[in-house]
Amino acid sequence: MYEHIGKNRAKTYLIIIGFLVFIAAIGYFVGLYLDYQYGVRGEYSILLLGFALAIAVIMSFASYYYSDRLVLSLTRARPISRQENPRVYYMVEGLSIAAGMPMPKIYMVEDRGLNAFATGRNPQHGVIGFTRGLLDSLNDEELKGVIAHELSHIKNYDILLGTVIVVLVGMVTIVSNILLRMFIFGGRRRSSSRSGGGLISLILMIVGLVLILLSPLIAAIIRFAVSRNREYLADSSGALVTRYPAGLASALEKIKGRSAVNTANSATAHLFISNPIGKKNRAMFKNLFNTHPPVEERIKRLKEMSLGVGT
Amino acid sequence: MTGIIVLIVILAAIAVAILAIAVGYYNAIVSTRNKVDNAWHQIDVQLRKRYDLIPNLVETVKGYAAHERETLRKVVEARNFGINAQSVKEQQDAENMLTGTLKSLFALSERYPNLKADQHFSRLMEQLNGIESNIAYARQFYNDMVMKYNTRIQTFPGKLFASMFNFSGRDYFEIEEESARRPVKVEF
Repeated sequence: MYEHIGKNRAKTYLIIIGFLVFIAAIGYFVGLYLDYQYGVRGEYSILLLGFALAIAVIMSFASYYYSDRLVLSLTRARPISRQENPRVYYMVEGLSIAAGMPMPKIYMVEDRGLNAFATGRNPQHGVIGFTRGLLDSLNDEELKGVIAHELSHIKNYDILLGTVIVVLVGMVTIVSNILLRMFIFGGRRRSSSRSGGGLISLILMIVGLVLILLSPLIAAIIRFAVSRNREYLADSSGALVTRYPAGLASALEKIKGRSAVNTANSATAHLFISNPIGKKNRAMFKNLFNTHPPVEERIKRLKEMSLGVGT
Repeated sequence: MTGIIVLIVILAAIAVAILAIAVGYYNAIVSTRNKVDNAWHQIDVQLRKRYDLIPNLVETVKGYAAHERETLRKVVEARNFGINAQSVKEQQDAENMLTGTLKSLFALSERYPNLKADQHFSRLMEQLNGIESNIAYARQFYNDMVMKYNTRIQTFPGKLFASMFNFSGRDYFEIEEESARRPVKVEF
């Protein structure tokens, strides 16, 4: 468990550093390209490198401190109080006590789909979100199973990594899309009078272009790497808190096939308990990078747990 | 001469290694014991919440069923016993007593429709139910921590260091609820 938390922290730092390098590299390559275009040596490249690095550092800090709010506004979640829904409130409070962690804030998304998510940078700033459909359709034992699953994500620092990725990977995707267009459409304006701007900068440009073309793939792979095993881990440690794996198994059974949430997109999909992207919105290609393990396998493992010895 | 020096160096190295291991175990045991104390504090927080609720509850019931003095007296008595409890054992007994008397209070409310319909009463009941399940969860967490701590000081080699530094095991917080213990009766 502690090993997993350590790994999540290390991965978060690694991703932030990777992001810094990536953005700085892109800035530098764009600078090189401009140097080449305007026939100057190293003016734009140094300027843009510094500029990109500054932006990347600011983005990294912002993603650490504010990405939970971004996630909440992206999914259009709103906070719910004890008076409004005492059932959920007491369940979350009780299960956080059982898990030995501070009580997270509770949010709700007005959506008929059955799903739940967790976000926040650490357990002290944890947030759990449910869809209205989930709260209405699950019985107490099932809902407890889902809450315990989300609490485990918070306790394991899965949420830090997951939430930081939303912003940073999202940025990489946006930046690379912009640059790709710049290269494709900007290329035409290249003056024919300038030839042989240095073979080295041409090679660097090609490397930059390849990197940019690959970036959506890199983003997808990162998301894939963080998302699958930790669902199994959250399932089992959640079941340890409720002492009732069958509750979550039955909840997943209900959620299966009805988990589509309208406000979720590919940037936030991995935060949810079950894949929130509806089948009709899912492209062929995206299936390759599915963010969640198959529900059947999760249910199977939970059922094995409840058959197993005592604990 | 050199043989003796080598021997002394080896012995010193072994002593340092043993000391380092002992320090490591000592710290690990203390940190687990602190977790047990913290878990106990969590139970305490919930129990206080329940104690604070009871005078209010008793007053509300009095308004509708003043002559049920005996039941009300028992509830208050169990509460006071719980507040003054010192050890885990005492607290445990007080809780079992309080849970029992509260049950008879709810049974009593069944006979007074006006009381059952009272807004204030039903809100108190809702809060009480919430706190009661929180107590159960806090107890679960406490027992988990006690198990961790006891395992640490009862297994080898933690056991050696535990006895060296005089660490003793902690008690589990158990429920004596009869309905939970009784085998389920199936009637045809």
